[in-house]
Amino acid sequence: MRVKIFRWKAIGPLLLLLAAILVLVVIFAEPVARDTTEEVSTELLGTQVDVGRLDLIPKTASVDLGALQVADPFEPRRNLVEADRIVLKLNPEALIEKKLVVERFALQGMRFGTARKTPARPVTGDGFAPQAVRAVRQWSKQFDVPLLRFTPIDTIKQLVLDPTRLGTVQAAQGLLARTDSTRQALEQGFKALDVGGTVDSARALADRLAGTDPRKLGLDGTRQAIQSAQQTLKQLDAARKQVDGLQRNVTQGVKLLGAGVQSLDEARRRDYAFAKSLLELPTFSAPEIGNAFFGKVSVDRFQQVLYWTELARHYMPPGLLPREDPGPKRLRASGATVRFPKEHSWPTFLLELGQVDFTIAEGLLKGAYAASVQGLTSAPALYGKPMLVKATRNAAGSAIAGLDVGVVVDHRTVNVRDSVAARLRGVKLPSFDVPGLPFRIAPGTGSASLTFALRGDQLLGHWSIGSTEVAWALDSAGGPRSDLEQLVWRVVSGLKRLDVDAEVRGTIKAPKLSVKSNLDDAIAQRLKAVVGEEVANAEALARAKVDSIVTGKVEPVKQRIAAVQADATRRVADEQQRLAKAQADLQAELKRLTGGLAPEIKLPKIKL
Amino acid sequence: MLTLLKLIQSLIKTLHSDGTPGQVAAGIALGAALGLTPLMNLHNLIVFSLIVLLNVSFGGGMLGWALFVPLGFLLDPVFDRIGAGLLQAASLRPLWTSWYNTPLVPYTNFNNTVVLGSVAGWLVLAVPIFFAARWAVARYRATVGERVRQSKFYKAVTASQAYNVYKLFRPS
Repeated sequence: MRVKIFRWKAIGPLLLLLAAILVLVVIFAEPVARDTTEEVSTELLGTQVDVGRLDLIPKTASVDLGALQVADPFEPRRNLVEADRIVLKLNPEALIEKKLVVERFALQGMRFGTARKTPARPVTGDGFAPQAVRAVRQWSKQFDVPLLRFTPIDTIKQLVLDPTRLGTVQAAQGLLARTDSTRQALEQGFKALDVGGTVDSARALADRLAGTDPRKLGLDGTRQAIQSAQQTLKQLDAARKQVDGLQRNVTQGVKLLGAGVQSLDEARRRDYAFAKSLLELPTFSAPEIGNAFFGKVSVDRFQQVLYWTELARHYMPPGLLPREDPGPKRLRASGATVRFPKEHSWPTFLLELGQVDFTIAEGLLKGAYAASVQGLTSAPALYGKPMLVKATRNAAGSAIAGLDVGVVVDHRTVNVRDSVAARLRGVKLPSFDVPGLPFRIAPGTGSASLTFALRGDQLLGHWSIGSTEVAWALDSAGGPRSDLEQLVWRVVSGLKRLDVDAEVRGTIKAPKLSVKSNLDDAIAQRLKAVVGEEVANAEALARAKVDSIVTGKVEPVKQRIAAVQADATRRVADEQQRLAKAQADLQAELKRLTGGLAPEIKLPKIKL
Repeated sequence: MLTLLKLIQSLIKTLHSDGTPGQVAAGIALGAALGLTPLMNLHNLIVFSLIVLLNVSFGGGMLGWALFVPLGFLLDPVFDRIGAGLLQAASLRPLWTSWYNTPLVPYTNFNNTVVLGSVAGWLVLAVPIFFAARWAVARYRATVGERVRQSKFYKAVTASQAYNVYKLFRPS
């Protein structure tokens, strides 16, 4: 019997099944797409993204999103951006290739920095964005932002120092060991020299030659005497070279020990600072006050920009090499999904042009806004142009004068360049706490600017705020304040003007932060006048305490080093002197034997 | 428990169906794709359509699926490595680049290491699975098959309504 290959009667049920699947897709596509959008966006941005509504419009290849909220990754109670409606027009040809190319988008009801009803969930996991959040938080911790300390001076009665915590003691012990090993090495070098034997034989030969008469020696005797003298002179020369070598070793050893002594001094300075920090002395250095008041808030601004820059660098890599990303979440292993970009084809994601024009008629934010995003893509090398973001606001006649934002992200080649410039005038500046003090600053309406540039590993950022209507608030729950805190409060609470300038520069791994404000000098001068003398006395106390522990450990080491240095130098000089004298004596005898000819001139051999 | 009962039912029905051992084995070999590879992918829709449309044992397909699901989970790390090796091979890069930029092909998720590795693994294992299954079914029928067919348990299973639906896809 011939076996049939096809089961034709099954076509009907199969088509029915496919139709059922199609119906399920139509019914559940939008909720699934909404959940997927939320999940993928949250994973990509490292912060909670909520989509209230998502409508697919297949006829126009569009997606209509409603009630979009993107939480601030660094402040879960606040939204970075919120939009009532976003309509995305997609490119259908690119969709067939499973690529998301947004030809244009329209946006309505955009708001920034709004409060969230519920705090955003922290994004966990090993995705790039959560890792970037952690890395940037770690980055911000490396800044040495001092805390202002206003401990009453009269509470400083004594200072207890643990000698094991002083770096000078450990450094002195290490240096002592190095000194001993240097001394032993030099001693072995002197023993290996054996200059004494060479000098003695040279001296004996010189004495013997001094007792001879060249006229009685005859030609053969004279020749032998001259050869002996030349041989010994060569030995002396070799010994001198050995001594010179030893002298170089001595010089090197002495130099190293000298550097060790310098490092002891540096360690002692660090110990002074450590002991001073234990006393928690009030700060009245103007740069430290600027850093303490506004360092944290400045670092917060820079860390946010750095975070988004890092995301851009990860999701917008230069070049056209295949690129791996984690695969989709499923019961089975996710694996990795590899993208294979190709010239003259669509990138996996591209937002060609997004233009946003809207007007807010009432309130503090009223004005006409215009913003555009161009070339946001997963493959900048394919798109061929840098990503540009521009935003402007003109609100003549209102309290808000304007807003200008410009972003350039150029990842077309390996020489990636990212820069941000934002300038806001007449905006309500967010209030913040002064770290370590029960003060809160509400800068009110003022201006703010931020510039940030990252070229390779080099960063340069500048952040400034200015306001003439600052309000200061005192945290009454903080308990009784010290006299110094009250003094600072009297200084700052009367100030209505605030100008802060913060700058970060250097490499990503080793950035330097400097902050200046108009408060620095005012507070510093006032504090210095009141507590300068007491602080100086307390600092002297700290230094004396360190000295009392350290001097007993350091001085013997210094004396040992000086002894080793002096002994080694003296012994080298002695050997050099002995050699020089023996050489001079022998040369004098040789000169006498040769009748004034230079010893280095070889005499002709006479055949007898 | 219900899943286990269904599995037993499927196993018994398949082993005693009118299909030849070759048809049952072909069904198992195709069904192995559903178990070895991540289910929600375009290639599995094609495999499922083949199980339905080709004159192979549908029960065999379901049996193959059920049997190879745990194996698929176990072998995922191996599939990941195979897929990564294939996708990262410099000699194959032009092929992948071409497929990645061809309409509809990216929807197969071939560029995922686990998907590609498991499909490659199934393609390699399909022929051994077919021959091993054909031998095992023939051996079963020749030994204990008839005794099971006469048992009350078998009769109870085949008398159920589900069996009538199943007979629709029974190999002829």
